[in-house]
Amino acid sequence: MKFKFAFLIFFILFNFNSSISKEIINELEIHKNLRCLVCQGQSISDSNSDFALTLKSVVKDLIDEGKTEDEIYSFLSDKYGDWILYKPKFNLENFTLWVFPYIVLIIGGFIIIFLIKKRSKNV
Amino acid sequence: MLSNIGNFLLFLNVFLSFLVIFYSFQNLKTSQNKIFKNIYQINLFQCTSILICFLTLISAFLTSDFSLLSVYQNSHSLKPTFYKISGTWGNHEGSLLLWVIILTIFSFLFLILNKKHPKNYRLYTLIIQNFLILGFLFFILFNSNPFSIITPVPNEGLGLNPILQDPALAIHPPLLYIGFVGSSIYFSSAIASMITNYSDKMFATSIKSWVLVSWAFQTLGILVGSIWAYYELGWGGFWFWDPVENASLLPWFAMTALFHSLLVLEKRNALYFWVIILCLLTFILSVTGTFLVRSGILNSVHTFANDPSRGIYILIFLSMMIIGSIYFLFTKYKPNNYRINSNSKETFVLINNWFMMFYLITVLLGTLYPIFTDVISKNKISVGPPFYNTVIIPIVVIFLFLMAIGPQTKWIKNKFENIKELLVITAGAVLINFTIIFFFKSYSFISNLIIISSIFLIISSLFDFFKKEKINLARIISHLSFGFLILFIGLNHNFSVEKDFNLKLGETKQMENYEFFLQDLELNQHKNFKAVVGKLKVSNLLTNERRILKPEIRIYDNPQTLTYETSIQTNFFRDYYLTMSNIDRSDYYNIKFQKKPLMIWIWISAFMISIGGFLSTFRNAKYN
Repeated sequence: MKFKFAFLIFFILFNFNSSISKEIINELEIHKNLRCLVCQGQSISDSNSDFALTLKSVVKDLIDEGKTEDEIYSFLSDKYGDWILYKPKFNLENFTLWVFPYIVLIIGGFIIIFLIKKRSKNV
Repeated sequence: MLSNIGNFLLFLNVFLSFLVIFYSFQNLKTSQNKIFKNIYQINLFQCTSILICFLTLISAFLTSDFSLLSVYQNSHSLKPTFYKISGTWGNHEGSLLLWVIILTIFSFLFLILNKKHPKNYRLYTLIIQNFLILGFLFFILFNSNPFSIITPVPNEGLGLNPILQDPALAIHPPLLYIGFVGSSIYFSSAIASMITNYSDKMFATSIKSWVLVSWAFQTLGILVGSIWAYYELGWGGFWFWDPVENASLLPWFAMTALFHSLLVLEKRNALYFWVIILCLLTFILSVTGTFLVRSGILNSVHTFANDPSRGIYILIFLSMMIIGSIYFLFTKYKPNNYRINSNSKETFVLINNWFMMFYLITVLLGTLYPIFTDVISKNKISVGPPFYNTVIIPIVVIFLFLMAIGPQTKWIKNKFENIKELLVITAGAVLINFTIIFFFKSYSFISNLIIISSIFLIISSLFDFFKKEKINLARIISHLSFGFLILFIGLNHNFSVEKDFNLKLGETKQMENYEFFLQDLELNQHKNFKAVVGKLKVSNLLTNERRILKPEIRIYDNPQTLTYETSIQTNFFRDYYLTMSNIDRSDYYNIKFQKKPLMIWIWISAFMISIGGFLSTFRNAKYN
């Protein structure tokens, strides 16, 4: 049984290594993460406004310059503000946003453990 | 004329609500264990008059009576009849009237269908429900009256936003509202239950059907909304984590947590106060959602109609509800004694609730956070799909595994006798995952996990189906379909093909194994718009499959708007999805082409989830 289990884990790990595709810079994915500032709740990928078209070509130029995805985002947010990024930056201001859900998850777990400990004794 | 009838009926309903409340209090004082006959009668009268009121509004839309402000703002005499009718609830004022109808009808049905429950509990439910009805009626009368008149009477209306002129969007609001507003009835009965100390498992049976039916409708409503977004908004996705979409999801999480906890209350007489909190929370979140959408406080694709004064009214109403709820919770709370073993079905229900609360808080925080940063530091940020995907998806993996194991556990005390079986299922799921990779292509680590866990859920649900003698079909259908939903979303995400390019008439372009040819452009004249229809030949060079897609650019006359109509070719394996848009000062057209595998199965799975809800409602209604 133990052997089978170990084999299973080995099998899974071995396969993961070969099955995970490499992340390549995907221009269309970047477009989806940028808000079209002149539209109503659309990304530049969905919009055909002049703004979106310009921004798409800016992104293309930046990729050609060899910038990474993160560099492109920080370049654009310096220029247009954080409003343009659909993925908020992980910084002090957004710390609560990113971390609070997990705190809730952890606290929730403790509440359940505490509740069950208390309730399973108490007859 | 119609305005007078409408206003009269609205005032009549205010009067009737007060009358119901008055007689209910009278009835509470009597010692006899029966509800006065006239309460039933007034309640029925209430339903009839509010329905007639709504029919009055519909007929105003049908006859294009532009003396009514709401008709003038949202309709046009040239609009097709179907959309004249759906325009009735396609705007703020009309949809509020729909709210009141559902509030009233649910209150009547609750009264007549729960005869075996105590008189006082039913009467208090009725009283609180009528306070809610009054709240909304006052909102309609003093702030958002669909029967307000406009002088001089305009000759023509402004028309309905063209993207709302759509069959899916015509049925989307009523479905969603049955879910949203349906939750009011267990808000009322939760408070009634606290007042009358009706706190045992009988309380659970009295609201169970209502929770299930509103959940099933809510699921359907969300589904129809996302189908609409898929073909109408033209970006090829079906869920954008848009604030308005989130607003419909928040009560859904609370409801899902609620009917799982209800099982514990029903079977084991435990978790009473938690159930109460969830009952209150569901309706509070529904109203919060309405507040966020209608006040225009959030930036969204859905902001059709908003106005700050509405926001303030809803905010006051909301605060009163929250304060009232908290007051009753604090004064009525008493600890009760029950036992829960760590390894039991009860624990798994708690775990379900734990995850639901995590999703709920993540989505709520993501939706509200831009408001906080805007107020505190004047810094506007956007919280979009990448945030939710990053935070939620890894947790969904664990959730799916637990969702598969939970239903197999026993009440009170469980023993895991089937560890071996679980390992076999895991191995099977992993194997299927690698088979997919082997034959098609590899994907990211997290996608691997998502696909493995969803297959795990599917296989275990299927095992349940064939193994046990006494099965809960509704539960299996919903869990199985949820597994399929996540699996298809995962596969769809990883195997989608997307191309974005420019073409002009008569030009051919080849990209990878696809060839695109813009054959023809046609100008069509319709009743209320003109359309440029493109004829695009898409050929898959690998399979020699050829399809003609006809995307449109529409120019609506009233109001003057440009919309892009997607052309979609669906079959059981994939959708071809294509939009065309004009580029200014050029004869090129921008073409966005997507191949979305297994798209139709995503809709079918979500539909089956709600079917599980309906089945469960019927089952429950039959046994109770």
